[in-house]
Amino acid sequence: MTRAATGYLVPGRSWLHRRHPLTKLLGVAFVLVAAFLLPPVALIALTVALAAIAVSAGLVRPVLRSLRIPAVLVASIVLVNALFYPGGSDVLVAVGPLAVTREGLTFGVVSAGRLLVVFVALMLLLMTTLADDLLEGLVVHGVSHRIAFVALSAMQLVPRMRDRVDRILAAQSARGLAVDGSTITRARALVPLIGPVVLSALVDVRERTLALEARGFGARWGRTAYRVVPDSGLDRALRIALLAAIALVALTALFGWLR
Amino acid sequence: MRPALRIDGLTVRYPARREPALADLSLAIEPGERVGIAGRTSAGKSTLALAAAGLIPRVVRAAVTGTVVVGKTDALHATADALLGRVGIVFASPADQLSGSKPTVREELAFGLENLGVPRAEMDPRIDAVLADLGIAGLADREPASLSGGEQQRVAIASIVTMGPGLLVLDEPTAELDPEGTDAVATLLDGLSAAGTTILCVEHDRAILERCGRNVTLDGGRIVEGTPARPAIGPLAWAAGRGRMGATVTLDRLGFRYPNGIEALRDVSLEVRAGERVAIVGANGSGKTTLAKHLIGLLRPTSGRVLVDGVPTDDRTVQALAQTVGFAFQDPGDQLFERSVEREVGFGPRRLGRTGADVANLIDAALTMTGLPGERATNPYDLDRSVRKLVTLAGVLAMDPALLVLDEPTTGQDPEGVERVGRIVEAMAAAGRTVIAITHDPAFADRWFDRTVVMAAGRTVDRPRPGA
Repeated sequence: MTRAATGYLVPGRSWLHRRHPLTKLLGVAFVLVAAFLLPPVALIALTVALAAIAVSAGLVRPVLRSLRIPAVLVASIVLVNALFYPGGSDVLVAVGPLAVTREGLTFGVVSAGRLLVVFVALMLLLMTTLADDLLEGLVVHGVSHRIAFVALSAMQLVPRMRDRVDRILAAQSARGLAVDGSTITRARALVPLIGPVVLSALVDVRERTLALEARGFGARWGRTAYRVVPDSGLDRALRIALLAAIALVALTALFGWLR
Repeated sequence: MRPALRIDGLTVRYPARREPALADLSLAIEPGERVGIAGRTSAGKSTLALAAAGLIPRVVRAAVTGTVVVGKTDALHATADALLGRVGIVFASPADQLSGSKPTVREELAFGLENLGVPRAEMDPRIDAVLADLGIAGLADREPASLSGGEQQRVAIASIVTMGPGLLVLDEPTAELDPEGTDAVATLLDGLSAAGTTILCVEHDRAILERCGRNVTLDGGRIVEGTPARPAIGPLAWAAGRGRMGATVTLDRLGFRYPNGIEALRDVSLEVRAGERVAIVGANGSGKTTLAKHLIGLLRPTSGRVLVDGVPTDDRTVQALAQTVGFAFQDPGDQLFERSVEREVGFGPRRLGRTGADVANLIDAALTMTGLPGERATNPYDLDRSVRKLVTLAGVLAMDPALLVLDEPTTGQDPEGVERVGRIVEAMAAAGRTVIAITHDPAFADRWFDRTVVMAAGRTVDRPRPGA
């Protein structure tokens, strides 16, 4: 069972856990920019770097386990591109009308690699950061607390949704709904599942709105903070370095210097 | 002296509803007074609570005429800032009121103070004082999500009280609590009253209402004198059964451990005869729901066996068990999705392979039992939560189960609703069916069931029915 308050957090005291949430957020931003703007070779460097970070923070197992989440998406990106990439001419393997082309396979692997690298960076952030710390970290740096709260809700969305889907799945199968079996059975089971998921999510939003209003979240005057998120000189230096790196990558891509 | 709350000629009309929720209602509450609001489902009690807390029409949209004044502030037109710290509201469902993002109870309480702009240095003393006053100092460093419902509700009240409102509004604060949690909340309200807080409390629970200085009863959105006459619910009969027999249940040294290591059931043995009515009572977190989920295969034993009609549940899927076992869940939101009550109730029997006139009969019988024949065409989401719960019960009855399992069927029901659920239990047993209900309401268990099984810390203690 995942609790929304802690989400994917893996409790610990590693150097990565102790970094300021904004530093880690910028790290994810850097990986995102580098993965998509730099030539594919950069993916190898990013993978090595992320692996080193995961090892040093003692998060190898949880990260590997989390890879199940995008597994289907990644596999289908590789497969679809390998088979149907437009303009692929260098055929590697052909079975009947289906042919795997070198161009398609390359494109598929690179696209999937980009997604995976960003996914792992994001998981490293979520596994080492309490959602609430991220919120306070953003507010301290001038982000409106309402916007920060939206970011927080987004972080909690997946665990909350998963809890809800599990509950509804149980309730509907108790009414005789077949939830496993053939593809057609499963497709037919979707309506009685999606209905309650969407409706209860809307009810949930209403109840949360009331609860937040009751606690004065709608007030417009100066807010104070209970939680103190430690920020060190090292963090500030890292953030400057990351910002510079992001700018450099963006400029490099802009002028096409590497081409 | 100026009243803490003054309501004059208040009429509230929700969009797309024919009848107003409140009609020309006037009420004044003096500072320090404790007023209980009683009344049936749909009488307008929750609307009154929301209006008194200044959430109508600012947060909950409705057409409003009349006035609501909290202290000196016009609550109908005030901004959030103007009401902050003057009035606070607590709702029925404990978990939904917590922010959901705080790792400790202490930080949960700090959330309101942050919004008030209280300096960091003053927060801890204020939090400690409130936790001590409310008798929950021991919870300060616990994770809110790991607390029992009763504990969470006390934390929810504490997080409103920390903000220091002069007027505290509560909307059925004990509806989802076990007797122990209800007692704790009642004691807590006594303490707040003694300290001078003005309290407006919507409740069904007699014990809570009796401790209020004065009670006001609502009916049809108006204040009425005395208790409104309500139609007594006579015995019901299950009309659609085709001589089907009840199922037997055997729990044989059942043990269950959740993947996170928590041992929820230890060595539970229980025999339930066909046609027997058994209530399972116990505090929140004693393993009642975990036990019930084994009866329909949603959980599988980690040790021991569960037999329904003499057959182990291990090798049968949930859908296969649904042919025999009808399970009504605690939260109606998990089951409802169709656009009308009639379609919703017909979903279960159709999944079980019933067709045509057969399904129509089952729907008729189930709607008659739950008192919903007039709501056939209504969208379930337009109904009150307690009525939606009856819709899910109707959906399970329509499956014509040999074994009916009810998880907390009376939460949120008014006395009339509780009586109806009791009559349904009686009728199903009269039709030969077995009924097992999870409940935190001992009075309900004693009145409608043959025997009560008490659960504590994952074990059962059999207790004969008093006077039987």
